[in-house]
Amino acid sequence: MARFITPGSMGAVSRLDGAPGGKRGAPALDTDTDSTREIKTHFRVCRFIMETGVKLGMRSVPVATACVLYHRFFQCVSVTVYEPYLVAMSCIYLAGKVEEQHLRTRDIINVCHRYFHSSSEPLNCDGEFWDLRDSVVQCELLVLRQLNFHVSFQHPHKYLLHYLLSVKSLVNRHAWSRTPVAETTWALLRDCYHGTMCVRHAPQHIAIATLYLALLSYGVEVPVGEREWWQVLCEDITKEHIDAIISDLLHLYDMEAKCT
Amino acid sequence: MDRDLLRQTLSHHGQSLFTHLKCEQSENPDFKAIEPDLSKASYQRKYGGEDNALVEQFIARKADILFAPSWKSSALLEDVLEEEGEEPYAIMPPLEQFMEVSFEERRNLLYRDIERGDIVIGRINSIRDFGFFVTLICMGGGLERDIEDLELTALCPLRDVPSNGNHDDPLSYYQLNDLIRAGVKDIDRYHEKITISLQPSSLGPNLMNLKLGVFSRDDLPLQYSRSVRVANDNTETYERVLEGSLGYSNPSNVEYLLGKIGVSDTQPPSLMRGLQSKHFLEEDFATTIRKKQSASWALKCVRVGVDHFKSGRHVEAMNEYNKALEIDTNNVEALVARGALYANKGSLLKAITDFELALESCPTHRNAKKYLCQTLVERGGQLEEEEKLVTAEGLYRKALALDDSFQGAKEALKKIELLIQKSLKLREEAAAKEAEKAKNVETSAEKLRKILKEEKRYIHTNPSERMKRKQRRSSSSSSSSSSSSDRSSSGRRKSKKKKRKHRRSSRGKKHQQVSSRDNRSVADDEEEWYPAPPNTSASFLDQKSSVVRPFEGPERTEEGSQPPSKGRSHSYHSLSSVSDAPDNSRFEDDPFDASPQRAEGSKGKGVRGDKTSDGDVKDREGSRGQRKRQGQEDQSGPQDVPSSLEKVKHRRMSSSSAGSEHSRKSDQYTNDLPSQSHISTYRRSDSGKYGSTERGDKKEQERGTRRSDGGDYRSSTDATRNGKGSSAGGSQKKELPTNLLDLFSQIAQFEKEKCVKPKK
Repeated sequence: MARFITPGSMGAVSRLDGAPGGKRGAPALDTDTDSTREIKTHFRVCRFIMETGVKLGMRSVPVATACVLYHRFFQCVSVTVYEPYLVAMSCIYLAGKVEEQHLRTRDIINVCHRYFHSSSEPLNCDGEFWDLRDSVVQCELLVLRQLNFHVSFQHPHKYLLHYLLSVKSLVNRHAWSRTPVAETTWALLRDCYHGTMCVRHAPQHIAIATLYLALLSYGVEVPVGEREWWQVLCEDITKEHIDAIISDLLHLYDMEAKCT
Repeated sequence: MDRDLLRQTLSHHGQSLFTHLKCEQSENPDFKAIEPDLSKASYQRKYGGEDNALVEQFIARKADILFAPSWKSSALLEDVLEEEGEEPYAIMPPLEQFMEVSFEERRNLLYRDIERGDIVIGRINSIRDFGFFVTLICMGGGLERDIEDLELTALCPLRDVPSNGNHDDPLSYYQLNDLIRAGVKDIDRYHEKITISLQPSSLGPNLMNLKLGVFSRDDLPLQYSRSVRVANDNTETYERVLEGSLGYSNPSNVEYLLGKIGVSDTQPPSLMRGLQSKHFLEEDFATTIRKKQSASWALKCVRVGVDHFKSGRHVEAMNEYNKALEIDTNNVEALVARGALYANKGSLLKAITDFELALESCPTHRNAKKYLCQTLVERGGQLEEEEKLVTAEGLYRKALALDDSFQGAKEALKKIELLIQKSLKLREEAAAKEAEKAKNVETSAEKLRKILKEEKRYIHTNPSERMKRKQRRSSSSSSSSSSSSDRSSSGRRKSKKKKRKHRRSSRGKKHQQVSSRDNRSVADDEEEWYPAPPNTSASFLDQKSSVVRPFEGPERTEEGSQPPSKGRSHSYHSLSSVSDAPDNSRFEDDPFDASPQRAEGSKGKGVRGDKTSDGDVKDREGSRGQRKRQGQEDQSGPQDVPSSLEKVKHRRMSSSSAGSEHSRKSDQYTNDLPSQSHISTYRRSDSGKYGSTERGDKKEQERGTRRSDGGDYRSSTDATRNGKGSSAGGSQKKELPTNLLDLFSQIAQFEKEKCVKPKK
């Protein structure tokens, strides 16, 4: 696999990164295990993906696809072999294609270059630029092959929005309008892509869990029937399930403090 | 921080949350402000639930975001009902149904939450004289609940039933078991009574367009029909219904629903500290960087292009500039450079466009201004040579407006102003000369008129259309019973002026009043120096000048001062063309051999440049044909007048022969001199055609021979046309002397003919 990335392209991306540990935050502590370090790296790179997504004007679903591609890719391969930021850029590019929000490599490269070298001038149309472009395109093919071309996923977003509407109808409309449940649950959903929980749980479950957490945060009262609302929305979920997902999510927030 | 929201949370979680909050938000001033309020109450955890410390800690940590007033994205969103038949997302039955919420609970909740303006659907179960009762079966908008089995009954009072026009009793329109869609008008929560109404005013603004009243089963809302299915089929779960619905598969349902809910995807919310929207700077966004990059890439191309330009490789330079503009459209430097290249090559208009475009984006670009000034002046120079003085002047002024200090523009402007003044003066002088000459001619015209008057008395015809037209235009009476002389005398002047105006202003229209300065000025001119009655042959002078005007166009600035003679030359042009056909037609219609026409014939006919110089009918016919031809050709020449001329032609053609004779006669009078002027016009305008100069001479000869033919017509038409146009500007100065000579010769001939005619 490593053969497919040319020395030039990897070199280009290293140049893109600048000094090691620049944007990657504080140097890893000795007490960190490899896996912890990896998790932190992945967190950072996913943060990078999310930020780039916002700057490129990407919708939530393509950003989610990019993160899932990234996570799935690195479930199979080692982070030491492949430059994670390059992979991230390619995942963004690929996700744009998959989710029909096509992005130009020029824009991706511009934003990423500026991410690493803040307040710099845009790149000139010269060798470095073309090298980077070649790298991104080649890595994209690499990601596709690694994932056996299974690149379209079911995301929780669709489920979450439908669930939101259904639950909204249960609650008094004025109480609902006072409470920013929709924003909170959307924020929670987006944030859970920083970690691998997004690939470890079913999309409906993630949707329910985020909705549950949002309702809990504001103390919203939902009528009770024979069955719980979350039970009704997804038959195969249990309370433990929801709690597990919520704890994963909360863990990510804790990690933010450690990684950035 | 939203105090009420916090209270709500705290009462849900209890005191432990409050402790967490105090701990985590100790540095938050907003929290500190409301902390005293919050601590007053003591909080008990609801639902004896788990002590979820993690969640509480999370809430506490993120409280500054969660409870920030700005967190709530938008104001209350109006509930927009989807179109019937469309399903942009999966419309689900009420969740209550799946949850199997108890009857009591549902009923209580309904009465708590239903509001005025919601839509309900039900069946009429009884009709009374004060209204009818409806059993509600489902909600139609505003609230989504499962109410069918609640067996709610609502009353629709009589006054809320709209009348049906022809029915006396509005209630008679309704029958038992009709499905009704109605709006909730009033709720008595305590007594659990619902009043509904069929008036559209009972609905809120967002649901306003729904039709209330009798309803068909097919229009029942989708969620209800799905709900019925679910009720009947135990295996139908929420999931199955969801995944089975069409809206679920809509790829853009996420976007749609986000819009419906009011959450933004371009500035997405996040609870991560690093992803808060305030951390994102505009210049890091892709579009901003791209613009900067395009500008710098384009600039490189422009530099290369300028190098090419300086070394003389213009083609490569243009290529580079175009490349730069492809990379970055409206790049200022590229536009200026390309404009300079265009100006150098001589494509001044393209250069001006480029400079102006550049200045739009960057109004302070020094080079753009400078080059634009220079190019405008150069273009002005070009226009000057093409005699478009006014446009040139405009350009010079524009250049000066751009750059006051540009010496070249100032000088050019001064020069052109002088030029314009000079040409104005010249025209005035020429006009004065014409006026004098015209006065001289008047006397002979007077004589002519008298003769013609006598002859006219013999002819007593119905007023032709043309006469009518003339009269309409003129202030004179429309009846043409009066002799043509009357016409000419009384209304001629006015008619001529009006005709002039008429022709001048309305190319194809009959009755438009002249609004152009030309007309007015010409009219004024005529009034001034044309004291003779309109019937005189000299009247043609006015007509000519007026006819000529149309040709002048906007360039003429000396209209007022132009003597009619100037106009004549133009008018000849048009008149000749116009008069041709009509003349010809009339010619055939009216075999005049009366002497009165002689004079006119002599004058008018010749104008057309008949080639035959015989005085007999053959010649006439031949000339007729020629005239026709000429008329047609002439018509193609002047662009202003042809349409009007055509019209006049047609009119003439349509006029009765008898009538036309009469009108012709009068026209002839007026056309006498005009025809002479025609000759000169011919010379001027039809140089390419039949050798107008030669024609002119021939005309003079023929004039004497052809008496009773359509020359009169022509002249009349000419006259009318003449009346329309006003004389041209100074360009006709040259024509004037020739015209006058012609006039004199024509008069001489006419007088000769007078003597000759009786012999015939």
